[in-house]
Amino acid sequence: MSNGILDIDTASRLKRFYFRTRSSVRGQKSGIHKSLYRGISPDFMEYKEYNRGDELKQVDWRLYGRHDRLYVKKYEDEVNLSWCILLDKSTSMDYGDEGSNKLAFSKKLSATLAYLLLKQGDSVGLSCYSELGTEIIPPRSGNPCIIPILEKLENLVPEGKTALSKPLLDALEVYKSSATFVLVSDFLMELREIRESLQLLRASKKDITLFHVLHPDETDFGFEGSVEFLDMESDAKVIVDTQSMRHTYMKRVREFVDELKGMCHEFECRYVFSRSDVSVEEPLIEIADK
Amino acid sequence: MNFSFLSPIFLIGIAAVSLPIIAHLISRKSGFRKRFPAIRFLLASQGETATRSRLKDLILLLLRALIIVLVALLFAKPAIFSFSRAESSEPRSIALIIDNSFSMGFGQNFKKAKKEAEHIIDSTPDGSFFTALPLVPRRGEGAISVIQDRDRVKKSLKKIPLSETYTDNERRLEQVYSALEKAPNQEKQVVLITDFQKNGWKRGNFTRKWLTLIDVSETQAPGNRAVTDVDSRYAKESIKVKVRASNFSDTESTGLLMNTELSGEEIKAYIDIAPGDFTTEEFIFPSTRTNEGPEASGSATIPEDELKIDDTRHFVLSRSGGLNVLIVDGDPREDSRLSESYYLASAAETASELLRSRIRIKDNKSFLDEELSAYDLIFLTNVGDITPGKAAELQEYLERGGTAVIFPGDRVRAGNYNALLGNILPGELGAQAQADSTLVSGETGMFSEELFQKIGQVRVNRSFTLIPAEGAVTVLKLSDETPFLAYRSHGEGNVFLFTSTADTSWSNFAITPVFAPLIKEFLDFESLSNTKCRNYIVGDSVTIDRSSGASSIEVEDPSGEIVKIDPKEPVFPNTGRIGLYKVLIDGEETYEFSVNLDPLESNLEKSSALQAESLPESKLGLVKIFKELWRYFLWGVAALFISESVARALFS
Repeated sequence: MSNGILDIDTASRLKRFYFRTRSSVRGQKSGIHKSLYRGISPDFMEYKEYNRGDELKQVDWRLYGRHDRLYVKKYEDEVNLSWCILLDKSTSMDYGDEGSNKLAFSKKLSATLAYLLLKQGDSVGLSCYSELGTEIIPPRSGNPCIIPILEKLENLVPEGKTALSKPLLDALEVYKSSATFVLVSDFLMELREIRESLQLLRASKKDITLFHVLHPDETDFGFEGSVEFLDMESDAKVIVDTQSMRHTYMKRVREFVDELKGMCHEFECRYVFSRSDVSVEEPLIEIADK
Repeated sequence: MNFSFLSPIFLIGIAAVSLPIIAHLISRKSGFRKRFPAIRFLLASQGETATRSRLKDLILLLLRALIIVLVALLFAKPAIFSFSRAESSEPRSIALIIDNSFSMGFGQNFKKAKKEAEHIIDSTPDGSFFTALPLVPRRGEGAISVIQDRDRVKKSLKKIPLSETYTDNERRLEQVYSALEKAPNQEKQVVLITDFQKNGWKRGNFTRKWLTLIDVSETQAPGNRAVTDVDSRYAKESIKVKVRASNFSDTESTGLLMNTELSGEEIKAYIDIAPGDFTTEEFIFPSTRTNEGPEASGSATIPEDELKIDDTRHFVLSRSGGLNVLIVDGDPREDSRLSESYYLASAAETASELLRSRIRIKDNKSFLDEELSAYDLIFLTNVGDITPGKAAELQEYLERGGTAVIFPGDRVRAGNYNALLGNILPGELGAQAQADSTLVSGETGMFSEELFQKIGQVRVNRSFTLIPAEGAVTVLKLSDETPFLAYRSHGEGNVFLFTSTADTSWSNFAITPVFAPLIKEFLDFESLSNTKCRNYIVGDSVTIDRSSGASSIEVEDPSGEIVKIDPKEPVFPNTGRIGLYKVLIDGEETYEFSVNLDPLESNLEKSSALQAESLPESKLGLVKIFKELWRYFLWGVAALFISESVARALFS
């Protein structure tokens, strides 16, 4: 059932990798992510001068022998993490044939990522959104939790226009404790709306990763002759001579991608661009640590 | 030269030009449809590329449409054709008449006419005889003869010059017909290659036999501008030159720069001329500038048009406009009103205001010292003292063309006059006699009828008797049949002799309404005979002014060619060129005269009668001779294909 959605080969290849946040997070269980709390951990962090109340067992007696002053050792605590995968299910995502369909690619990417995250002990939630509404699976940990995610992705039907603000607010309500938001979309919307959404997430101290998925037709504009283009999300249409239009169109797309990248840099988000005709391994490996 | 298609059915193919247009419109309306998510980038890019794309589409569409049109024209076999007599196996005798009147100088008409004639020579069957003639014949043209040597005919054709005049074309045709009658071949043809300009075709009822008319004019109603008249006169301290420019076209000529030059001085003016109208512009030159030479010459010019020859008009301003008049008063008084010449001088001065005469009054003594040759007209009033030397000078003055009017008086001794001036006077003076007579008309109509209607008012109390000499004419006589005024010519001059005084002592003649007009008649008579015509029309014969003793007369025409004139019959008939001619008397340049075009010829209106003649080609037995042009169209198609490919490569 889930084989079409989950890329087992990629998942097996990437199981040696970890997916970490770029900042410390509050966790509920011990895991691989750096905790905001200091605690028991094999990873030494720093020395701190002894104060009343510190546990004596943490005093470094060797250092006391050398300097004649009391220092206590501090260790990083590692916790598990709650991930929220937001998948764009707008109509514009349903572009491309089998093998290069943007939505199919995004589903596979989300499913594989969710599987890998669950594998490393994190909890994962899924939110499929569009202008028409948001379908939410709350974050849970444990390998069996992949089943409802895969089922949701399997049955996902594209609908509505691309929208981000409202679905994001809905998601924040549900994933209050989640530290990391992963957005998978073509982001064919106003940059202003994307900026507002990223601002909101950063204000909520969330770690953000953007997977920007575009079809090869959208990047290369490989059409010939005169074509009447119909918008997939509205009634807009335009007849163009693709030959004379190609150069200008590609320049516009590049500008858009560059602006989006710049925005991500500004808000300290991870930005991963991916064409929909490649293996999901390529974008995933960009955010993985060994 | 006309244009036609040999296979016009293929012109239907031009309709195929609609194919690229339809394809263009269809491609713009509905291209291949495609649902596409990133349409926002296309909409943003569209404005940038729309103009370029539209331009590219239009250029390519135009090139493709042109290719289809040219291919269709190519298959339709385009050709230019000219008319020629229907070919027959029989050789014939052809007289090719090239209209060389100056209107043919319009545009390329004259060149085209010669080319057309050459074409006819080449396309006529072997054994034919030809002659090539100008419509305006050359002076001294020999007899018309036809020859078989085509090259010689072509050479003579090339030598035909553009004339600056026109001729009686009907007479010329008759002349050619008559020459062709004697030509060897049975079949004959007269081909007149012309612009159909109506000047020269006076009667319209000329013989049409053998005649083929070919029109080489470029347009139906060629527009032309010309300087059509120049009138130059001396004013008091200036010279007025009135220039008339005419517009023979249907459109208004505005802002034309008219330039008038007189003795090196130029004045310019901008003029406007309404269609079919004329404008006269007056230019005033200071007279002091032109006092140096004997006479002044100049030209008036407007900007050149298709017919350049009539855009300039030359003129010569003759200095002989004013008369020098001498009045000799034999009985002057302190109170001038009592002087013998008082009434005469008053009448002459009144008339001189109109005729620009210069009048000098001398007494008897001064007269004896005066050089008479400086005057055109001399009045002698009661001059009693005449020396033999003065009488001889007066005689010579008359022989050279001077005029003397003699009034006797109480100081005149008849015997003395008869002895000294007997051979010049129109009669022999007799004794003074009392009379009570009125004046009646004489034998001749020398003066105007109006003048003679009032002569009855003149009453004469005293007069000399006069026995008219042989050849003398009694102009006026008294009621008792005795002469009152007698006239006689002497040499080239004239002598008028009254038998009564110029004042009121012997008659009331001087205070009657007859006197002043009669004196003016003398001045007019002299002025007329003294007027020197200096401006002529092409074709005019010019009588050369010369002194009686001239031994050689030559005229140098505007091209520098010198023609000798017989001094006995000083007439120059060769005014065939326009411009300024110099007259050389005894090797010395004496004066100039101008020759200009007849302004009628500047109107290039066509003769409707001739045009009607030329139209029915079938009646004239003409066939079309074609020259195919498909090669040029093929090159055009190839060039367009290359252009289309280049355009596509550039835009892609």
